[in-house]
Parts: sequence; structure tokens; C-alpha cells
Amino acid sequence: MAATTDQDERTEGSTPTDPPRPRGRGRIATAVSVFGELLITAGLVLGLFVVYSLWWTNVVADREAKKQGDRVRDYWADGPGSLNTKDGIGFLHVPSMTGGEILVKKGTATKTLNNGVAGYYTKPVKSALPRDKTGNFSLAAHRDGHGAKFHRIDKIEKGDPIVFESRDKWYVYKVYKTLPETSKYNVRVLDPIPKESGAKKPGRYITLTTCTPVYTSKYRYVVWGKLERVEKVDHDRTPPPELG
Amino acid sequence: MYGWIWRHLPGNAWVRALISLVLILAVVYVLFQYVFPWAEPLLPFNDVTVDN
Repeated sequence: MAATTDQDERTEGSTPTDPPRPRGRGRIATAVSVFGELLITAGLVLGLFVVYSLWWTNVVADREAKKQGDRVRDYWADGPGSLNTKDGIGFLHVPSMTGGEILVKKGTATKTLNNGVAGYYTKPVKSALPRDKTGNFSLAAHRDGHGAKFHRIDKIEKGDPIVFESRDKWYVYKVYKTLPETSKYNVRVLDPIPKESGAKKPGRYITLTTCTPVYTSKYRYVVWGKLERVEKVDHDRTPPPELG
Repeated sequence: MYGWIWRHLPGNAWVRALISLVLILAVVYVLFQYVFPWAEPLLPFNDVTVDN
């Protein structure tokens, strides 16, 4: 039935000299062409998925991160108040990785990280906060898509500064070790004293984790830093020289 | 399949092309808004944390 309609329509626009198509072929030809069209459709959908993952999620996440970051800054501008971990605890600045600032929020749930922020670990190893006397301030963020905040983590080198900006303090860390590839089950990298980085005694550490190689999540990339000094935020929020 | 859809759209070629475009945009919208966000966590491309 479908084949006959198909033929009727096709011959409509063509010249009368065209020989009529042989009848038996119609059904198989239709099946093959539908199958082919389905394959093309699948290809297009996969292509669109790549566009979605690598572009659209960034657009959405950056917009959301900007909104949430502005809210934190507004909140800070309002004067003293308690630390609000729900909206975000501060901003991460890593000049060798990105020119922008990265909002830091509590937790590493997919839902949190998908908003283009970095999250500090609450599990499997609970992160310390920068103001704590000792401990490891451990963070995770996306390598690709959803803001891709740690996309250029491989550009961070030993000696580079990592600055965490809280409401009233600049915490200046210095990178002392990078680990380009480790197992995704290697939770020891988050330890309060990250022995794998060569650290031996309690101190104020920072750990950045994300996935590697790019576009996959097979392994994890880890960067460790150690606190160098803490600066008070002045009235104009003048950034420390490392961010100059 | 697409030929069948094309033939069953009303109007002349221009109207059909316009309707096709709207249909394509609708499909892309549904994919970006609902299907991809649903499918993404099921695919192993975007886990960034270390975990047991």
C-alpha cells in the first residue's frame, strides 16, 4: 500500500517517458530507505548530543554560576553575617588555569557541580575548610561541559598560585605537586594529610580533582597545594599580587 | 519515512518547508530540554569526583 502511494507521488512530478518502477522492489526499497533514514537520524541525534554536552551545558551552567556568584557577592556586601554554605562559601582563583573566578559550594553532588561551580567534598573524605587550623580543602569540578571550570587543569604547574577568596580573607596556596592520572577510586588523595603528594605532617592543604583525559571520566587528575599565607580583604577587595 | 511526512504535510512546498523547520526545532528543543539531561547521567562521560 505504502509502496503504491510512493510510486504515485514520485511519478507525479517526473516526465511521462520515465519507465514505471518494477512493483516487487517497492516494499524492500521502502524498508531499506526507512532503515537508512533511521540511521541518519541516529547520527544526527548523537551529533546533537555532543553539541549539547560540550556547548549548551556550558551556556546554561555559566549563566547559573554567574547568578549564584552574584548572590554571594551581594550577600557579602550587606555586611557581617554568618557563613552561608548553601549559596557558596567563596571563590577560587587559579590564574594559570582560568582567568575567571569559580564559585565554591558545599558538596560534590552532580546537581551542584552541573551549575558551573566547584564543590568541596563532604564524602568519601570530608573536606576541611580554608579557615580550619589544619586539614585538606578538597574540591571537584567539571573538566568538560557544565561550565568546564577545571578544563585547563593540566596547565597548572608546580609553584603556581591557587587563591581562595572568602568574605574577609584571601587564602594564598602554592601548588607543590600534580598527579596527571590516578584511579577514580583513589580517595586517599583527599586525606587530611595527602601522603601521595609527599606531604608528611598536618598542614593546610588544597586539593583539586577532576576527570582526565578530556571528554572522558576514566581517570582523575589531581593538583595539590599548600597554604602560603592569609591576607585580610581590604575595603576595595584588592586582590593579592598573585592575581595581578 | 521523511518522504512520508513531507507528503502528509498540508500546503505547498513553502508551507511544508516552514512546518518542517518548526518540527525540527521542536524535536531539538525536546532533546536538549528533556532527553539529553535525562540521558547524560547514565553515560560515563562526566564523573569528576574520586569515590569508592
